[in-house]
Amino acid sequence: MDTEKRKQRLREMFQRVVDPLGYKFSPDEEIVDFLLEQEVIIEKEHGHPFCPCQGLTGEREIDMKIVCPCIPFHRAHFDAMKRCWCGLYVHKEVDDPDSLVQISRSEFEQMQKEGRI
Amino acid sequence: MSEENWVYALEVAELADGEKKALVIDGQRIALIRKTNEIFAISNKCVHMECPLSKGELEGYIIKCPCHDWRFDIRSGEFLDARELKVLVYELKVSDGKVYLKMEGENQ
Amino acid sequence: MYTLSTCPWCKKTKSFFAEKNIPFEFIDYDKASKEEQQKIREVCSAHGEGIAFPFVIIGDDVVVGYNPQKYMKLLES
Ligand code: FES
Repeated sequence: MDTEKRKQRLREMFQRVVDPLGYKFSPDEEIVDFLLEQEVIIEKEHGHPFCPCQGLTGEREIDMKIVCPCIPFHRAHFDAMKRCWCGLYVHKEVDDPDSLVQISRSEFEQMQKEGRI
Repeated sequence: MSEENWVYALEVAELADGEKKALVIDGQRIALIRKTNEIFAISNKCVHMECPLSKGELEGYIIKCPCHDWRFDIRSGEFLDARELKVLVYELKVSDGKVYLKMEGENQ
Repeated sequence: MYTLSTCPWCKKTKSFFAEKNIPFEFIDYDKASKEEQQKIREVCSAHGEGIAFPFVIIGDDVVVGYNPQKYMKLLES
C-alpha cells in the first residue's frame, strides 16, 4: 500500500482513538508526519505500527502495549507529560508542544511517590 | 421518528455456546456472541484499527481483539484499559428462536 | 547513548551533541543484534526505565528523553 495513503488511514483511525482520551495530534505537523511515516515503515517490517520511540522485545504481551496509540497503557505517565512518549499526541489544550519536556518512567514514578502529581 | 427498527439477524440455534459469528446488517459489521444462554451483539470493528472482534478469544464476558489484544466487555462494549473507548453494543431480542437486532442509523 | 533509528528525539539528541562538538557513541536499538538488544534492555531496567529512547549515559548519570538542559548540566559537572 502507498505510504501516504496508509499514513492518512492511520491518522483517521487513531484520531478516533485518542480524541475520547483527551488527546489530539501534535500541532507540530513536521513531527507528526515524520512519526506516521516511521509507523508505516515499522508496520511493513513488523506487521504493526509500533511506537517509533520505544523498543520491541519480541514478547507479544509487552510489545502489544506499544502499538500506536499506546496511551491507554501509559495513561498516567503521558498525562503527566501532557504528551505521549514519541510526541505524536498531546493533550487537547497544548498549543506549544516544544514547551513540554519528556519525563522518563523512573522520574515519573519518583514524582508519584513524592505526591508531586 | 421513534419507530423501532428490529432486523432479523440469525437463528439462536446457529450459535453454539461460546461461538461468535460475523454478520453484516444494514451495511454494519456486527459480531454475535453466545455466552451460555445469553447472546450479545457488538460492532465487529475494533475501536483501535477495525479488526474483526469475532475472530478474537472470549474469556468470560471479555473478548480479546485478534490484532493487538485490546480487551472489551461484550456487555457494555467498554475497552478495559480505557473505559471512554467503546465498541457499539446493539440491543437484541429473541423471539421464536430468532434473534433480532435493533438498528439505528448509526455510524457504520 | 542508546537510540532508535525511527525516533525524532533520538535524532535531535545526536545532532545536539554533534553541534556542540561533544564526542559520543551510540547504538540504534532497532538495528542492534538480539544479544545487544537484550543487554540494552538490562541497562534500561537497571535504571528503572522502560525501553524508551533516547537513553543517554553521561558519566554515571542517565537521562532518558531529549533534554538539552539536563545534558548540559551533566556535561558541565
Ligand atoms: S485492531 Fe483491535 S486491538 Fe488493534
